[in-house]
Amino acid sequence: MTNYIPTVGVEVHVELKTKTKIFSDARNGYGQMANSLTNVVDLGYPGTLPTLNEEVIMLAIRAATILNCNIQRVMHFDRKNYFYPDIPKNFQITQNDTPIGYDGYVEITKENGETKKIFIEEMHIEEDTCKSAHRKDKTLLDFNRAGVPLIEIVTKPCMTSGEEVKLYLEKLRELLSFGDISDCKIEEGSMRADVNVSIRKNERDPLGVKAEIKNIGSISNAKLGVEKEIERQAKLYDNGETFKPQTRRFDDKIGDTVLMRIKETGNDYRYFPEPDIPFVILTDEMIEEAKKGIPMLPDERRRIYVEKGVLEANANKLVQNRTISDFFNTLLEEKTDFKIASNMLLGDISAYLNREEKELNETTLTKERFLELVKFYQEGTITSKNLKEMLDMILESDKTIADIMKEQGIENITDDSEIRNVIKDIIQKNPESVSDFKNGHDRAIKFLMGQVMKETKGKANPRLANDILLEELKS
Amino acid sequence: MEEKLSREELLHVADLARIKLTEEEIEKYQVQLKKLLEDVEKINEVKGYDDEILIACWDDNTKLRKDEEGVMLDPKQVIENAPHHAGNYIEVPVVIGESEGA
Repeated sequence: MTNYIPTVGVEVHVELKTKTKIFSDARNGYGQMANSLTNVVDLGYPGTLPTLNEEVIMLAIRAATILNCNIQRVMHFDRKNYFYPDIPKNFQITQNDTPIGYDGYVEITKENGETKKIFIEEMHIEEDTCKSAHRKDKTLLDFNRAGVPLIEIVTKPCMTSGEEVKLYLEKLRELLSFGDISDCKIEEGSMRADVNVSIRKNERDPLGVKAEIKNIGSISNAKLGVEKEIERQAKLYDNGETFKPQTRRFDDKIGDTVLMRIKETGNDYRYFPEPDIPFVILTDEMIEEAKKGIPMLPDERRRIYVEKGVLEANANKLVQNRTISDFFNTLLEEKTDFKIASNMLLGDISAYLNREEKELNETTLTKERFLELVKFYQEGTITSKNLKEMLDMILESDKTIADIMKEQGIENITDDSEIRNVIKDIIQKNPESVSDFKNGHDRAIKFLMGQVMKETKGKANPRLANDILLEELKS
Repeated sequence: MEEKLSREELLHVADLARIKLTEEEIEKYQVQLKKLLEDVEKINEVKGYDDEILIACWDDNTKLRKDEEGVMLDPKQVIENAPHHAGNYIEVPVVIGESEGA
């Protein structure tokens, strides 16, 4: 900790989950052969004109709603002019004057349970640039990314630590991915964060000199980058030194920020309105339609899961996996044991998914088969050991749980009288253990249970057997 | 009013446009650009002029396209149409430390 007050603002770009690009009907895709997803608009050929994708507007309205923003009803686009090979028409189409969303917030919950609102200054729509790969003596360009729709979300300078930045980014990722707005994969570049850091001695002082950190590859690096930058600036001030506004980048290998360039002058992008795109006027109908598409968000999911009897820690874990959480949502109207259901999904089933590197919706598990499974487990017809044995078949075949049990020879004895007869017999044969039990030696019951399982070849429902054994011993 | 643009302003514009100018050109463009700006200024004299006309001079607003994929270019054509290419990439000279967009 330093004796300074840090001030941090965050800018996040996320790529929208549309089928096509923002101003052209070329595919919005990732991981394809370089320059295979383009048309003349994306390449900035002379004479081409942008046509605005309706879905971009709908997803942006949705994002603005989720981020508690006011929505700009009359918007236009602007040209941000600069010369750089990543945008061959020499300007990026963005929204400078009329961002679609403004004055919003998201709420983060800190480790001590305290909540804090992170205020969002504005969020605007813009086009992504092409991807450049710098080699020693040349730069290689791939235009597949050119024209992919983005929203940029800019916070007010209201965060004070790397931890808050981390919580904000996690929350934003959760909201935007559950809102089906973006897949928010930082490692694939569909969510990118830049942070602005400055420090000052007192609340009343003006904000200090700002350093921007770019190219942050993960949320944990964002936290670390902010912490390292606060340290670096504090050391300079402590030594009586100053520094110029600058752009730095986070270097994974050294786990610290390094200087990219000093900002000698302010940017001069000479924004002006984009004359090739008419005004966009958002009607009540459009806004209602966009809001209708918002799926159940994480906070509500967690609340409902806990209401249904899921442990709070497990409710959090369920929400961390979208496909598992969506599957769990399909059960909510059913009568089932949600605690068992959540334990199964997060335990053996998650272990299987991790091992096989699959998502739940890539298995054969259906709601009906899962409910059957939970029911059998709850009744004790199958044990956790059985579950492990059956799991591959449950998740890889379409057979009913009952059929799988038959095939695997899992036949647990759930018939009261059958188990009772076995137990009576065992009690008769082991008078010593019975008297041990009566003298308060709890270990005796384990021995007797072991005998029951041995006699039934492990097929007795353990819970039932335990209950009957206690009953018989006490009678 | 000054008859020419200041040298600093002219050099700033040249810098933004990434062009090098000779002394002779600097002199010439200081005058020419000033004249251009004055001509543009005349727009402000038009009565009832509205800035919005710069954005869209027609009433037909909110022109949106359905999110449906169309025909894309053949990647071979794309790279062959660029002055230089390396494999499937378009090749340009290294430019680092300049402002990048998004």
